[in-house]
Amino acid sequence: MLASPAMSRSSQSGSTTLWSLVLFATLALFAVTLYLIFVVAPVEKQMGIVQKIFYFHVPSAYAMYIGFGASAVGSAVYLIKRDPKWDALGVAGAEVGTLFCVIVLLTGPLWARKAWGVWWTWDPRLTTTLLAGMIFAAYLALRSMGNAGEVEKRFASGLALFGLIDLPLIHYSVQRWRGVHPTVITGKGGGLESEMYWALGLSFVAFTGLAALLIWTRASAERQREETARLRFELMHR
Amino acid sequence: MRALVSAFVLVATLSLVPRALAEDAPLEAEKSSQADESPAEERAAQFVGVTGPEAESVPGGTLLLAAYAIVWVLLFLYLVRMRRLQSQTAEELERLGAEIRAAEGR
Repeated sequence: MLASPAMSRSSQSGSTTLWSLVLFATLALFAVTLYLIFVVAPVEKQMGIVQKIFYFHVPSAYAMYIGFGASAVGSAVYLIKRDPKWDALGVAGAEVGTLFCVIVLLTGPLWARKAWGVWWTWDPRLTTTLLAGMIFAAYLALRSMGNAGEVEKRFASGLALFGLIDLPLIHYSVQRWRGVHPTVITGKGGGLESEMYWALGLSFVAFTGLAALLIWTRASAERQREETARLRFELMHR
Repeated sequence: MRALVSAFVLVATLSLVPRALAEDAPLEAEKSSQADESPAEERAAQFVGVTGPEAESVPGGTLLLAAYAIVWVLLFLYLVRMRRLQSQTAEELERLGAEIRAAEGR
């Protein structure tokens, strides 16, 4: 469905091959993960079948970290080097991170309705996750206002770095502040059964591959879009 | 003396009972006004035990299905968006290439 990042350049066939390999590996991993989730992993004793949301919810949160982290790295390097390819990484990371953040914020309440009896509560982890989503949504809103100039790019980069501060808060909020969010896979948690552990572990790997593919492809598309804008500008000022 | 105490109890009873009945009258009036309330108002004012099956169930299967559907639908929509962005960029590049070639040919 999507063209690989380097499809237009025959000299980069190695990159295309790697992209295709990651794609097929990710698809295969997702197939195995779904089998493990719905066939192998047992139904949880207290919550029942709704606990299986956990196998996609937690890796989605992890993919969100990857996306927002990539955006912050791209933005930081762009502020230092002013190289557009790092800005493209910043945009791609913010977009993919926000996608996974939306997934987390929608699948979480579906689990919470059964487990807590409410769709939403102002728990520290939920609140800090929502805050991160809003920060990077602001980043994307800023970048979507036509062709962003240098000032907008630099301001958005600063916003991404500001959003980076929130990521450790999300992760450690469960441990530092009292909340109701589960802690089964942290140091304080009781852990998982081995089948559950394998399903979750493979899901983490599959979501890592998916996030990498999406960021890679989106960054490539952003670079091409920037190049097109540059050519259009040059043509207009000939 | 016993007759005196009996007479006192009789008088006290006869004088207090009508007062007690008069105080019960507003309660009955309240009951009749509650009957005029809408079902929603009545539900907000009291808890009534169910007579049928007692188990309340949140449909876990439906919630699970909704969660996985949300993940796949959002991913699909994002891929469609990215595909559209790539197509627009490719079209724009082709158009710009044609313009450049036309400009060089002049």
